[in-house]
Amino acid sequence: MTSGKGGVGKTTSSAAFATGLALRGYKTAVIDFDVGLRNLDLIMGCERRVVYDFVNVINGEANLRQALIKDKRTDNLYILPASQTRDKDALTQEGVGKVLEDLKADSFDFIICDSPAGIERGAAMAMYYADDAVIVTNPEVSSVRDSDRILGLLQSRTQKAEQGGTIREHLLITRYNPERVESGDMLGLEDVLDILAVPLIGVIPESGGVLQASNSGNPVILDTESTAGQAYDDFVRRFLGETVPHRFLEVEKKGIFKRLFGG
Amino acid sequence: MSSQAFELKGEMSLLSVLLLSATNMSEIQTTLDEKRENAHQLLDRSPVIVDCQKVSEQATELDFAQLRKMIAETGLIPVGIRNLPEALENAASESGWALLRHGHSRVRATTLPEKTEAVDEDNATAVDSSDDDGTTAAVQRLRVVQRPVRSGQQIYCPDGDIVVMQQTSAGSELLAGGSVHVYGALRGRVLAGVQGDKTARIFCQNLEAELLSIAGRYRLLDDIEDDLKGQAVMVYLEGEKLKIAPI
Repeated sequence: MTSGKGGVGKTTSSAAFATGLALRGYKTAVIDFDVGLRNLDLIMGCERRVVYDFVNVINGEANLRQALIKDKRTDNLYILPASQTRDKDALTQEGVGKVLEDLKADSFDFIICDSPAGIERGAAMAMYYADDAVIVTNPEVSSVRDSDRILGLLQSRTQKAEQGGTIREHLLITRYNPERVESGDMLGLEDVLDILAVPLIGVIPESGGVLQASNSGNPVILDTESTAGQAYDDFVRRFLGETVPHRFLEVEKKGIFKRLFGG
Repeated sequence: MSSQAFELKGEMSLLSVLLLSATNMSEIQTTLDEKRENAHQLLDRSPVIVDCQKVSEQATELDFAQLRKMIAETGLIPVGIRNLPEALENAASESGWALLRHGHSRVRATTLPEKTEAVDEDNATAVDSSDDDGTTAAVQRLRVVQRPVRSGQQIYCPDGDIVVMQQTSAGSELLAGGSVHVYGALRGRVLAGVQGDKTARIFCQNLEAELLSIAGRYRLLDDIEDDLKGQAVMVYLEGEKLKIAPI
């Protein structure tokens, strides 16, 4: 999960994505690459259970089993938190590769790498071994430009690219607000797709449910009432090969009751 | 760090190249005078490097001190000289010329010789002189790019054409010795004829380019007529003028 720009919803999306895969029975690990600015543990609600972290494992100070935190709500889901006291230089290509190989050997089906913002070491390490990349973008020009830059790096700075292959790219648009698109404050879906020219895998509507979920440490995908939770579920199903129509793209027509009593 | 008065950095700059095709000093003077008549505003105070590639056989006839003076009197600022036979490097150096090692911008023999030409010149740190002797491997005449060219990516084909099968993004850069074809939206910068080939052209399906340049003559998106933006166009040089025509 990568984006270039910060604050677009990478960690929220990583947590939702990993949870969604695990809910469908896949053994899934989600790794926080944002060493020094660790957040994933908060979003996943496991911040009080962090003993060892990703950097400890890379440095051989702990083994993978000690550092992986098993999610309490969802079976098959494990979190590998970032170190808060180190910085991105602690990540080495060999070290990251070894951790990923060990996870594969431990029969994990999916490993979600939650990239930090930027294009420096942390982001480079998160993308290097990827088979698939989900590019998280907000419908505004600077986020789209940064995603475009990341797409360029994905073509050259990955192991797959170095071996002459390509990684699969998926575009996930988050914080989509149809009202603001209609009023011209926000880029429309068509504009974003036109600039980035990458297959769309999901559109997550802007929703109060996301902030609520983050603050309470519950991945938003578990909130099946919220539009964002439903949209993340659609995204996971599409990733697994199902054909699911996109939802929440149009301005919601408010009925008389909603207008009277508020939505 | 703040106690240092400056930093010394190597960087790429756009410089005009004066490609000599004669060594007779009065002949050079005549051409310089003509240039001053025709384009003095264009040339005024712009830095220029002298390329002796075409005259390296007769370069002994050059008077380096006088050449420097003549160029300065035209209003140009002579910064360096390149492609000199080694035997003459000392003489040029003593006359105050900076000797430039050859970078990547070998000028093709087909280029018209009489004009100054803007090329990318690594003017500070170029130390690679491995291709000075002209024994470079087969040059690439065509570079085909199948994927979108993203922001921050640069496609460089110094001796040939570039064909992009998709779009290019804002913040990307195409640099071709020859022509450039883009079968999609052209949103980045595109420089054709970077070694001075004025017959180079640019073609695209949808013109939104930040910058268009052929052989050093350039236009920015803001300078482009609104009715041409978003259109399929061909860009070419007519004399000194960069023309854009719908196709």
